[in-house]
Amino acid sequence: MRSSLRPGLKPVSILYWLMALAATAFFLFPIYWMASSSLKSDLDVGTYPPVWLFTPSLHSYEQLFKEMGALDALWNSCFIVGISTCLAMMAGTLAAYALARFDVSGKNVLAFEVLSIRMLPPIVSVIPLFIIAKQLGIFDTPWLLIACYTLSGLPFVVWVMRVFIQEIPQSIEEAALIDGCSHFQAFWRITLPLLLPGLAATMVIVFMFAWNEFLLASILTSREAKTLPVIAANAIKPKAISFGLASAAGVLMSLPVVVLVLMMQRYLVRGLTLGAVKG
Amino acid sequence: MSVDLSNVYKRFGNFTAVNGVSVKVEDGEFFCMLGPSGCGKTTTLRMVAGLELPTEGRINIHGRDVTYEEPRHRDIAMAFQDYGLYPHMSVFHNIEFPLKIRKVSATERRRKVVETAERLGISEFLGRKPGQLSGGQRQRVSLARALVRNPRVFLMDEPLSNLDAKLRASMRAEIKKLVSTLGITTIYVTHDQVEAMAMADRIAVMSKGDMVQIASPLQIYDRPRTQFVADFIGSPAMNMFPAAMQKAGRITCSLQPFADALPAEERNRAPQVADSGGQLLVGIRPEKMTLGAVGGRHAVDASIEFIEPLGQTTNVYVDAGGQRFVVVADRVTEKAGDRVGVYAEPEHLRLVATQQVNSRGLGNA
Repeated sequence: MRSSLRPGLKPVSILYWLMALAATAFFLFPIYWMASSSLKSDLDVGTYPPVWLFTPSLHSYEQLFKEMGALDALWNSCFIVGISTCLAMMAGTLAAYALARFDVSGKNVLAFEVLSIRMLPPIVSVIPLFIIAKQLGIFDTPWLLIACYTLSGLPFVVWVMRVFIQEIPQSIEEAALIDGCSHFQAFWRITLPLLLPGLAATMVIVFMFAWNEFLLASILTSREAKTLPVIAANAIKPKAISFGLASAAGVLMSLPVVVLVLMMQRYLVRGLTLGAVKG
Repeated sequence: MSVDLSNVYKRFGNFTAVNGVSVKVEDGEFFCMLGPSGCGKTTTLRMVAGLELPTEGRINIHGRDVTYEEPRHRDIAMAFQDYGLYPHMSVFHNIEFPLKIRKVSATERRRKVVETAERLGISEFLGRKPGQLSGGQRQRVSLARALVRNPRVFLMDEPLSNLDAKLRASMRAEIKKLVSTLGITTIYVTHDQVEAMAMADRIAVMSKGDMVQIASPLQIYDRPRTQFVADFIGSPAMNMFPAAMQKAGRITCSLQPFADALPAEERNRAPQVADSGGQLLVGIRPEKMTLGAVGGRHAVDASIEFIEPLGQTTNVYVDAGGQRFVVVADRVTEKAGDRVGVYAEPEHLRLVATQQVNSRGLGNA
């Protein structure tokens, strides 16, 4: 009697389990394929029907680091994306706070102006950016991409964080002001801890945008400031696509994002569902 | 510590939220600002707290001009309608927070938090988060956080309006007892006249940014200055009948027997109460009227429309030639449709100003 009530044994539950399993397999398969291809030899990678059992080899990775300069690109990517994400988060959150809390005249126009950066397709701005960067002498330096990524991340941060901040009842901050905090202390000690889930969710998304960005990185860099997506694209050669190399680059590119998401997991679930703060 | 507002205005664009309010709240006084929503009472309180800055006027706390001071330099505490508790901190840390910001030592903090929590009966919840408490418990925590640092002035913005009726009544008594024991100057904002009447030493009735009348609860009940105050205080509201002051000093009223019954002392006030067109109102509280025989001296003949027996009292709704009003009696034997004579106790008949009168022209008692 009791065992028949256990949810695991109901036929419907088994069906759900199977469906969930199928969905997971469907979404995981490309990742498995990428990871396994990166460990295959050049010969195995292109065979049809595909080889399921093979002797793993690290030669794609070796090629990636030795011939393609992936280590420099990895460092560039981390440096550029790390700094631009931090800058966009800091400036964007403070701007969002001002837009959400202070009586700024014409703040809706201002917020729309910020958003309008996002409306411009990057391809439109890339040639002018190239010319300006050349003239300023910052072409092929990390600073150029840092500036570009910060700018393109800002509108997203401002708009999303504005909603998160508005979700926090103003009386909580006012209570802090009355309890003896300055405006900055109230923000730092009360508002910021409550914003953490939102900050984490926003940060991961801004990081991923910048991490995967290819167009600007390919045109505004030539050698010194190359980022990972550019290196990964180099695996596609004029005559043939080196699938093993491309897969190895793919794995390398995915790793930091996976690590970041795992680290932020605790906040992400709450942050992505909004309304995380209730008095 | 007294709080002194002089000629304080607050404008938001073209809208005037607070229209030149002047009042002095005395040391240790329980002062209530009462009015419907949008009358400027909360804005006034927020200006005292420093959460809004006045457009014009000065605010003094204990003789020191704090008009443009930050809230933290005013030595005030505040309880909010939605409690304003920090959701990420435990009850203990919530109460401790104002002491921590003021860099009080850890042992002293602990002692004060425990002591205050005990006084408010929330000792057992110290480890919980605000989200795990009921409305009444949260309000206690917010009171504890306000009281833990012995503030000079305690501001409360409708602290009981999110609680159910029964809890509200008991918290009302508790708050009143607490602040009067501690002797803290308290400014309390509410839209609930019963709350204001029960707790306040003095009430300011506010309407459209003006303090229409400032007086003790009973004075406001017995002698409302304007139609607005008379309408707002008391349930059922005061009965009011349109009247006019004639040139010879005679007062005519839509129900003349009531005007005729006015005592001389009240009659002499007519010139101050009447508006520029000589219009005013004759008012009387429903419980100061009695039902009797038809045709008596100073009686108004009326027919009973319907009766509400409430147990303790009975509301009798009557119609006297198109003038509808209510009489509150103990128990009645009359039935709907009966003809009765309605008598007003002469010493309780009042002259009340119509709303057109500029309230500030009346001065404050």
